[in-house]
Amino acid sequence: MVKHYRPPGKKKEGNAAKFVIRSQALKQLQISLPLFRKLCILKGVTPREPKKKFKGTHQTYYHVKDIAFLHHEPLVEIHRAIRVHERKIKKAEAKKNLERANRLREKTPKPKIDRIIRQRYPRFVDALGELDDCLTMVHLFAALPASESKKIDVECVHKCRRLAHEWQAFISRTHKLRKTFVSVKGIYYQAEVEGQMITWLTPHSLQQVVTDDVDVVTMLNFLQLYEPLLSFVNFRLYHSINLKYPPILDPRLEALAADLYALSRYVSANTGPSVVNSEASQAESEQLETKQKEAETGKEKSELRLAQLQHQLPSNEPGALMHLVEEVTGEDEEDQNTKECKKLFKNVKFFLSREVPRESLLFVIPAFGGIVSWEGEGAPFGESDQSITHQIVDRETQGHRFLSRDYVQPQWVYDCVNAQIILPTDNYLVGRIPPPHLSPFINYDEEGAYIPDYAKTIKHLQAAAKKDVLPLPGVGNEDLEDPQNLLVEGIKGRAEANDAAQRKQKMMILEQQYHDDLKKELKGVTYTSADSKETSGEVQTGESVVHVEENADDDMGKLMMSRKKRKLLEAMHISNKRKQAQSDLIKQRKKKIDEAKSQRS
Amino acid sequence: MKGKKKTMPKNDLPEEAPIPFEKVPSPSVSDSDSDYEDSSADDDESSVSLDSLSESELEDASPENGSSSDLEAAETESLEAAETESSLDEDIVNGEGSGSEGSDLHQQGAESDSSEDEVAPRNTIGDVPLKWYADEPHIGYDIKGKKIKKKEKQDKLDSFLANVDDSKNWRKIYDEYNDEVVELTKDEIKLVRRLLKNQAPHSDFDPYPDYVDWYKWEDSKHPLSNAPEPKRRFIPSKWEAKKVVEYVRAIRKGTITFDKPKEEDGPYLLWGDDSGSTEKSNHLAYIPAPKQKLPGHDESYNPPLEYIPTQEEINSYQLMFEEDRPKFIPKRFTSMRSIPAYENAMKESFERCLDLYLCPRVRKKRLNIDPEALKPKLPSRKELKPYPTTCYIEYKGHEDAVTSISVEASGQWMASGSSDGTVRVWEVETGRCLRQWDVGEAVSCVSWNPLPDMHILAVSVGQDVLLLNTCLGDEELQNRIKELLWIDSSTASDDSGDKAPSVSWLKDDKHMGLRLRHFKTVTAVEWHRKGDYFSTVMPTGESRAVLIHQLSKKLTQKLPFKLRGLAVRSTFHPSRSIFFVCTKKSVRVYDLLKTKVIKKLDTGLREASSIAVHPGGDNLIVGSKEGKMCWFDMDLSSKPYKILKCHPKDINNVIFHRSYPLFASCSDDCTAYVFHGMVYSDLNQNPLIVPLEILRGHTSSNGRGILDCKFHPRQPWLFTAGADKLIKLYCH
Repeated sequence: MVKHYRPPGKKKEGNAAKFVIRSQALKQLQISLPLFRKLCILKGVTPREPKKKFKGTHQTYYHVKDIAFLHHEPLVEIHRAIRVHERKIKKAEAKKNLERANRLREKTPKPKIDRIIRQRYPRFVDALGELDDCLTMVHLFAALPASESKKIDVECVHKCRRLAHEWQAFISRTHKLRKTFVSVKGIYYQAEVEGQMITWLTPHSLQQVVTDDVDVVTMLNFLQLYEPLLSFVNFRLYHSINLKYPPILDPRLEALAADLYALSRYVSANTGPSVVNSEASQAESEQLETKQKEAETGKEKSELRLAQLQHQLPSNEPGALMHLVEEVTGEDEEDQNTKECKKLFKNVKFFLSREVPRESLLFVIPAFGGIVSWEGEGAPFGESDQSITHQIVDRETQGHRFLSRDYVQPQWVYDCVNAQIILPTDNYLVGRIPPPHLSPFINYDEEGAYIPDYAKTIKHLQAAAKKDVLPLPGVGNEDLEDPQNLLVEGIKGRAEANDAAQRKQKMMILEQQYHDDLKKELKGVTYTSADSKETSGEVQTGESVVHVEENADDDMGKLMMSRKKRKLLEAMHISNKRKQAQSDLIKQRKKKIDEAKSQRS
Repeated sequence: MKGKKKTMPKNDLPEEAPIPFEKVPSPSVSDSDSDYEDSSADDDESSVSLDSLSESELEDASPENGSSSDLEAAETESLEAAETESSLDEDIVNGEGSGSEGSDLHQQGAESDSSEDEVAPRNTIGDVPLKWYADEPHIGYDIKGKKIKKKEKQDKLDSFLANVDDSKNWRKIYDEYNDEVVELTKDEIKLVRRLLKNQAPHSDFDPYPDYVDWYKWEDSKHPLSNAPEPKRRFIPSKWEAKKVVEYVRAIRKGTITFDKPKEEDGPYLLWGDDSGSTEKSNHLAYIPAPKQKLPGHDESYNPPLEYIPTQEEINSYQLMFEEDRPKFIPKRFTSMRSIPAYENAMKESFERCLDLYLCPRVRKKRLNIDPEALKPKLPSRKELKPYPTTCYIEYKGHEDAVTSISVEASGQWMASGSSDGTVRVWEVETGRCLRQWDVGEAVSCVSWNPLPDMHILAVSVGQDVLLLNTCLGDEELQNRIKELLWIDSSTASDDSGDKAPSVSWLKDDKHMGLRLRHFKTVTAVEWHRKGDYFSTVMPTGESRAVLIHQLSKKLTQKLPFKLRGLAVRSTFHPSRSIFFVCTKKSVRVYDLLKTKVIKKLDTGLREASSIAVHPGGDNLIVGSKEGKMCWFDMDLSSKPYKILKCHPKDINNVIFHRSYPLFASCSDDCTAYVFHGMVYSDLNQNPLIVPLEILRGHTSSNGRGILDCKFHPRQPWLFTAGADKLIKLYCH
């Protein structure tokens, strides 16, 4: 780099005046690098890309205003105070003055995050919009094992678990859940809160391993922001449905908390009339139970820790609050979508067997208005209840089988939720290999996108179900019955269903045309449907000819483009080609599979 | 310690010797039972002294023991002492030979010496007057309670005799208590003697050691102070009382607060009313982090079968670059209970964290447009017809690459030169080869005289330029041409300059024409529009690289200015007396009348190869060897108006059509491009350039494609000369 001479009185100009590199920033702020990083995380300060990197491309650049912003930050002062305090504690400990050390430790100043949250997210909607990462992180930490060496303490894990359950309780209670997806990485949930689509990932309920190649300190810094953020969000959400936050619990309940069976019974007894809510609350208590079980299975956890956990259980019991204010939620405020979601499992009663992802199902099923019970203590109703319509089972071996209910695999629930209809259970029965579980986040409208077979089937079923609810004017009664039959027949009559659907579409089109013609006639336009068809046909053939010519034109047009545009065009072509290649590969595989199948049969 | 222990016994040795003696329980002297009067007196004395001595010994010994400090040391010492004792015993036994009693006694002494008095003497009667046993046959009881009998008393005479005989008799003492005779050793005697002299029994004992003053006499006269106890020691502190009062007051005031149980400041309603919180912060615009990509079907635990790659595909991933390798390989699990924990969960979350705080955020406009929309709006090609599109006629006959072609002004004839050393004239419409000249060398350029009735062909062959009479037209014309091409003498040379002739005009009898002999290889020949002048280019000719010849006067002149750079091509302005010379990097425009450089056009190309001037005269195109073509609008600027990069290989020639708004380029990639190039008379309107057609058909040979292209003077037809020995005519 050439160092340009700048006369003494003259100020810096351009990029050099606007940006500083990281080491300059550190010098200016007089803080250490770890603290700087922490501040950046908390304040949401990110590096910038200046147009000209005046100190070299390998440097990180920050905006001068960002650094000034950090400079005025009270957090810097607080962290200095914390450092001083730590030194005092160290000194006291060295002098064996444990009393003083403990007192100092208690009085260590704590940074306040609420002001920062307010600053970063001036409106509640902003906070909701950026909640994805927060929720994913909190759910991940809720599943982590607490370990001293990794600096993940029990309290932190516990708090995360409590916050996650509070959030889930709210979503489940207000029926805001929209989509779920069981992936290899975990279970994705998507909820719509105040118009914001929030997607988060919960790891599978197995012990996660903290590998050495991650810097837990950085993640904990993030968590330091996310924990209060989620608690404030929860507060606001609970406030919006007139619920007190954090949940205040009955002392009797607290006393009973050691015995979770008693707790769940207490909850169910208190919530007599509204069954759904009681279910929800029980679900929560069940979550707690599973949580405790997890804690018990964690062998490395000491007895003391376990005791602590159990002591803390009542305070983070989100289920207990479910019954407190449940009538308050204004049902008339709910939008159409929520209403539909609420009704999905309205007449369905579930029973969960062992070995199903209970925590997840207990969250999902009540969110869509279902009633659920499970095997084990504290369940609202037992397996022998005659009104159970679906039993969710993952393993084939069964004792007594009730004829009155369907034994389905857990995937059925998730697929129903994504399709927003009750799917036929034939393919999901225990012992069969279930149909593929499809991602609900894929948009099939894109051109050239590959649509799996099962997605098509679901689409037809959805169409049929919709017609069932909203019959079209002019469609005969036979047609009305058709979708119902479809539902009953299930997948067996899939081909017929397809035909029927197509027929219906055709009829709809014809009908539409007829209406249009009628309108035209009314307006005095002569009947020229045939003409119009002919012209359209001509246009199409003409287009095909033109298309060939345009292909030749392609190269010609390219010649006249500026280099920048040409490169852009080429990049677009390449990316389109890549997408096309991907879908082609999948189609090719599909073809092979189909061939193999046909050969076998 | 060890060293000390080892040395200890040596130090003690002199002390130990007397110890057996010392331990001998006080031989009572009091009773005068003994028959020995004189000796008894001696005995008396000695015994008394012994008594006192024993006590002093004890006193002396105990500090000695104390000085040996710890018990352990004492024990080891005693053991070692015992050893030395036993050796002493032997000595004594040897010396005396008095039997077991002496040794017995010594044993006792050794035992007693080992430290304490607890080792009992043989007799157990204790400290009782011996006279109680005087009349008894025994002197007392041993440890087992048996009576110890008195020895038989020797006859006085016998004893006396024995004493007299025995020289050591004076050392012997009778121990009444144990009823035995003890012989004193030399050391014991020494000790006794020292005692008698009132000296310290041990010779090592220093009665006058140096005084060590342990007290520090700093300021005081006396080691102890006699000052009275100060008052402050026994009244309550005033300062403390003050402090207490202070604290009490502070507590009452509330300035001192006690540690209360820490209360967590929980969440509160942070976003109360959103309507008021829309005030704009004066900070930089905040860019929210992009959301993570939502999972597709392939991430499902049970994806459709077609999403799972086959084993071969998975193996082929290993051959890919690490960046290209798919990060996630879809897997299928038959049931939900068999899904394992995802091993990268923590890592992916961490990477997301890093992205969130370390990545610069830039708002990028994602173009969600149809790629076609990027293309410029050009008029439809159909409206720009006619232009050459398809090959109609091929002219075959040359035996090597056709390097150059030229079309006669009327458009009826076409001449071509080839590297096989022939020049041919073709009839355009039939493809018939009319005439053929064998010039012997590879032809680099042919050019037809632009006048319609002057059928003269200029051909550059090696260092020569031939002017050929094509013998077309009627006789009158033929005569005129012959006249023109006649030169009076074969030696007539140019007199353009006074220096050595650069070009010699010669008569060529073989081809019935003129031969202009140059001094370097000629690459290009170009006629002036009036057909009298023509220019030749010799790239290596340095200052005389570009020459202008006048046919009517058979004159040659060089350009009167310096050429900067290697000349490539030259051309005349179509209507004015302006001359263009194209060098590798730039184009120079000369005014021939004023003999001045008017303009220099900077092409920005690496190596220009060809130049063509628009019939209007204000626009020109330059083709280059890197495949670029520059359009100059000379009224606009000296920089290219448009650069077209269409050929991947060298452009060999560019050409304008004389009447249609067409121009073309041909290149070594075996293609020729035809463009629509409309120049408007309105100066405000830029020329319109539309690519029209790519003409293919030639094949490559020796890495060369189309070497030359020319438009038909009247029709929108294009002739191309290829390295594949063909000439093609493309018509509309």
